[in-house]
Amino acid sequence: MNTHPNPARAMRALIAEDEPILAATLAHMLRKLWPELEIAATAPNGIAAVEQALTLRPDVLFLDIKMPGRSGMEAAEELAERWDGAHPFPQVVFVTAYDDYAVQAFEHAALDYVLKPVGEARLARTIGRLRAQLERAGDEAGVDDGGDAGMARLVEQMRALLAPAAASNAVATAAAAPARLDTIRAAVGNTVRMIPVQEVLYFQALDKYVNVAGIEGDALIRLSLKDLLAQLDPAQFCQISRSSIVNLRHVASASRDDFGKLQLALRGRSEPLKVSPLFAHLFRQM
Amino acid sequence: MSTACPALSLPADLPVLTDAHATPRTRLRRLVGDFGMGVIVSSWAALLIALIEGRPQDLYQEMVYSMSTGVVAFLVIAGARLVLDGPIVGRRWLALAPVLLAAAPIANIGGMTLGARILGVAAPSLSSYLRVQRLSMMLFTLLAIACVTLLVVNRERIERIKRKHAEAQARAEAIERQALQARLRLLQAQIEPHMLFNTLANLQGLIALDPQQAGVMLEQLIAFLRATLSVSRLESTTLAEEFAAIEAYLGLMAVRMGARLSYRCTLPPALRAARLPTMLLQPLVENAIIHGLEPHVDGGEVVIEAALDAGRLAITIADTGLGLPDAADPPAVRRKGGGGVGLSTTRERLRALYGDRAGVELVAGRPQGALARLVLPLDLDPNLDANLETA
Repeated sequence: MNTHPNPARAMRALIAEDEPILAATLAHMLRKLWPELEIAATAPNGIAAVEQALTLRPDVLFLDIKMPGRSGMEAAEELAERWDGAHPFPQVVFVTAYDDYAVQAFEHAALDYVLKPVGEARLARTIGRLRAQLERAGDEAGVDDGGDAGMARLVEQMRALLAPAAASNAVATAAAAPARLDTIRAAVGNTVRMIPVQEVLYFQALDKYVNVAGIEGDALIRLSLKDLLAQLDPAQFCQISRSSIVNLRHVASASRDDFGKLQLALRGRSEPLKVSPLFAHLFRQM
Repeated sequence: MSTACPALSLPADLPVLTDAHATPRTRLRRLVGDFGMGVIVSSWAALLIALIEGRPQDLYQEMVYSMSTGVVAFLVIAGARLVLDGPIVGRRWLALAPVLLAAAPIANIGGMTLGARILGVAAPSLSSYLRVQRLSMMLFTLLAIACVTLLVVNRERIERIKRKHAEAQARAEAIERQALQARLRLLQAQIEPHMLFNTLANLQGLIALDPQQAGVMLEQLIAFLRATLSVSRLESTTLAEEFAAIEAYLGLMAVRMGARLSYRCTLPPALRAARLPTMLLQPLVENAIIHGLEPHVDGGEVVIEAALDAGRLAITIADTGLGLPDAADPPAVRRKGGGGVGLSTTRERLRALYGDRAGVELVAGRPQGALARLVLPLDLDPNLDANLETA
């Protein structure tokens, strides 16, 4: 069922970069150093990058870190969440301008990255590694359902990248000792409904609001998911994707769908909750 | 000091404290004060004499004589001090000793004569002054005027010390203010490494793709770097120069952002020579780009305009980008950083430089984006102004 990369088929790349000259420059260098690679498209922002990657399914994805719409990191995260498991996940290379902190973090997480201005020698090394990985993935694809090998690797790396940040956040929040939320006050029409956090099944970020799915029905609040998470008991609530936080006490089971995506079933609710690959490790069996 | 920013030039805003050339007004005030003290001492002298002589009923006459003596003594000593000129510093009061010695008999004889005239009695003859009683009165007069003079000298010394102290304090404050200015200026002149490396990356690409545009961009980078790096040396600049630096910056950003950025700078010719502190506008323009337009998927326009507003210089920086944080919005859709360091530093600088005469505010743009409005006193550079007229 996997359409693994055919060695005869040309490798295709998508470049996500908001500065047009930089996008053209990277394309120019890639054509020179990797003539067989086809530049399928260039995306001018993070949102377009995710959409185009989903449609074009490139083999290689160059993601600028600082983009309007979505940062490179956010785009990679969203792509991992929405990727259809039937196809191999692209090899992701992050592109960033000089930035001490980010570069150190990338090194630490062993992420593929190149610095702007891009040096030819460095890009050639990156290309060498990419080709080796793509070849290996192609070989494995026949034996295993190794389509997700690329994603697994990226997810592992991004988890490593996010972990120190999360840890320092936890320390910071512990130090600041934010008031724990006991009750959610959500406006429903003219009344304010008081929802005890124990009765919340999950929180889901919508465009400008967060939907509070409670035992007795849904309500909207105006609070960011991040601010909300900081005020919740981490033993009870955990983030499972970019857009949702679940109450572990109401989770009945975790299972994989037809595409190998993890999803949660909740007690008293029929709709399943999708778990981002980034958080899938939280629901492995003991 | 010919610096254009009045508050930046150190001596200009200090009060004139040099006491060698006190203004006529303060000198007159000093004389009135001295005269008052003379009147008080004369009154005491009259009371003393009347009581010693045991004739309190003669107090009025003694008062008239004493006052007359005091007035004559005052005139003599004030006249002598006008000739001697300048305040009594250090041992210069010694020069007053012979004046006092000479003033005592003149004041005594003059005072007696004047007093007798006022009272309508016969003045004592000159020969009568050789008697012991008259001579002791003369000695008493000397003591009295020496006393007044000492009081005056002492009072002046105290005033001088106070003034020196105030002067030192004002100077220390001015130095502190300048140090703060320098720190804030440097803070605003920092070039973000991210901006520099992204620009270099664009240049690198253009050299291969479009060498001609690479040349143009390099020129803009040079102009931008020159304006930004020279800031630590200069205190003030003209609007024409500041606008040139901003246009270089926007030129760079327009190449980088392509169709996502358009910009317009409007500077009326009459305001080209207006002076303002360096790097005052640049951070606000950078804010409009970094927080407003760069993170906005569709980009937009930034418009910078200078105008006269009720005799003051008004500069607006408007962008059509993400807009200001709305308290009702969750942080995810807000313009990150809001006003940012740029705005608070600018506000701090303006307060240190102009106090209440200048200000900066950041408001929501119409129909979208953000608008920074800066108002400061108009200060036209006369040299540049003249150049403009002849040109």
